Amino acid sequence: METSILNRLDKTAGAYAEKMMFKDEASGITFGEFNRLTKAVGTFIANKVPCGSPVAVMSGRHVLTPACFLGAVRAGCFYAPMDGDMPKARLNQIIGVIKADFMLVDRAHLETAQSLDFQGEIAVFEDICDTAPDDALLAQREATLGCTSPLYVIFTSGSTGVPKGVITSHQSLMCYIDAVAKVLSIDDTDVFGNQSPLDYIAAVRDIYFPISFGASTYIIPKNEFAVPAALFETLNREKITALCWSVAGVELPAKLGAFDIGKPEYLKKLCFSGSVMPCKYLKIWQEHLPDVLYVNQYGPTEATASCTYYVVKEKVTDDTVLPIGKPYDNYKVTLLNEDNTATPAGSTGEICVSGPILALGYYGNAEQTAKSFIQNPLNDNYRELIYKTGDLGHFDEDGVLHFHGRKDRQIKHLGHRIELGEIEETAKKIPGVTDCCALYYKEKATLYLFYTGEAASKQIVLYFRQNMPAFMVPRKLISLDSLPTLPNGKTDMQTLKTYFK
Amino acid sequence: MEELMQILEELRPDVDFANETALITNGVLDSFDIVALVGELNDAFDIEIKPNNLVPENFNSAEAMMKLIEQLQDE
Repeated sequence: METSILNRLDKTAGAYAEKMMFKDEASGITFGEFNRLTKAVGTFIANKVPCGSPVAVMSGRHVLTPACFLGAVRAGCFYAPMDGDMPKARLNQIIGVIKADFMLVDRAHLETAQSLDFQGEIAVFEDICDTAPDDALLAQREATLGCTSPLYVIFTSGSTGVPKGVITSHQSLMCYIDAVAKVLSIDDTDVFGNQSPLDYIAAVRDIYFPISFGASTYIIPKNEFAVPAALFETLNREKITALCWSVAGVELPAKLGAFDIGKPEYLKKLCFSGSVMPCKYLKIWQEHLPDVLYVNQYGPTEATASCTYYVVKEKVTDDTVLPIGKPYDNYKVTLLNEDNTATPAGSTGEICVSGPILALGYYGNAEQTAKSFIQNPLNDNYRELIYKTGDLGHFDEDGVLHFHGRKDRQIKHLGHRIELGEIEETAKKIPGVTDCCALYYKEKATLYLFYTGEAASKQIVLYFRQNMPAFMVPRKLISLDSLPTLPNGKTDMQTLKTYFK
Repeated sequence: MEELMQILEELRPDVDFANETALITNGVLDSFDIVALVGELNDAFDIEIKPNNLVPENFNSAEAMMKLIEQLQDE
């Protein structure tokens, strides 16, 4: 049994030393060079912090970023990626949670890193990437890793206004990667086109398929997603065979009419996740690329990216609603009622997940961890933790799971998970906002903020732009004299929804 | 032009559309901004922006967008 992801990197680096591993617009990196860089960086970090330490990483959309991540792992540590384009206030929140003593940045992000409330040491990748590897030290560090050691901490929206850091272990990641690879038949001939930001959970496939199976990944420049002709040209030039994209990313080319100009000629597999797929867009993909394998994935970061999958065999129509399918290998799904009893066959209940793919919890937040990861109430014989997703679903007679939305106010917008409560907590900090309610108009994928007070809408948007990630900025702001209420005093959201247009 | 500026201002009040000349090239507007913008411009100016029109040169500045709108209105 593998003890860490480093077992895999050692193997692929040996077998594919000369092969291209990661490529971006400007450069490329072979497996051999990648491995050398992780050892150089790992040696540098190992001389700075003890094993088991968090290493914050702020690095751009290029081939060196995965080497920063794995460099931290070589040092017996785990990494916490941060998106340098996020507002400083958000980055400072993340720093406050992860409390790292060491941050690794690329040269382009040094200035940003220095402007944050970070007390530890900052090292620039380009300055340390020629550190002579200390093999004895690295072996010593690797020996401290076990399959349940943390691999990374990825941050997600928290309803109280502070982001939550989900901790994933080596074992969880490897279980997930192997399960998806089996469904998609991933091997060393596959070339992935990376869409997700590298600091985000959805990028783990693009990073760990190469490490695990000798596949390659091309990191697509961000602005090409706004230029459909350039996007498909890139997919063809790089002979991309597989895409693991957010639903929002899959929608984009279809929405912008990219198929009127061309199509990805080499594509064999497309798996998507992050939100419910509107099938009028998937239909366009299917019409132009009928032989591609389409896979719908479902799952929260807390269960390592995705926990169920559905292979789309049928030709979809505009109104098709895709099931979320069956659990991946090593994932167990249980449905529970509100009172923690078993949901009867065929009925709708809360989707709960268990297995070795469960996250280690929320970093530095035992209280929230204990609330979300609980002993399976249906099992009083041995320890079995489950994660309550907050999502609702039912199993049909074939054991296929169908999704029925959220039981709380979490939404999926542009592939990101957002707590509407966090939008409201943020808005309430703005002078001139007395009361507010955030709602999501799903059909138009638009985030609304209704508010009272004398603040100008421009002022509110500017505050969000300066403090929150771009996907959390409300697109429509509606100023009201007062928020409508229900007899019990709670905000009447149904009335507010009549403002949607 | 006034109508265009109003749409842009509402879409991204944090961007200086009067002076920016590399909105796409420098990633000031992202793909999701473009999707929203294309929809609004099509409705407001009764035009149909085609995938071929979605190149950085047509969206890098407010002025370039205006030129594209006028060109499509003439067609």
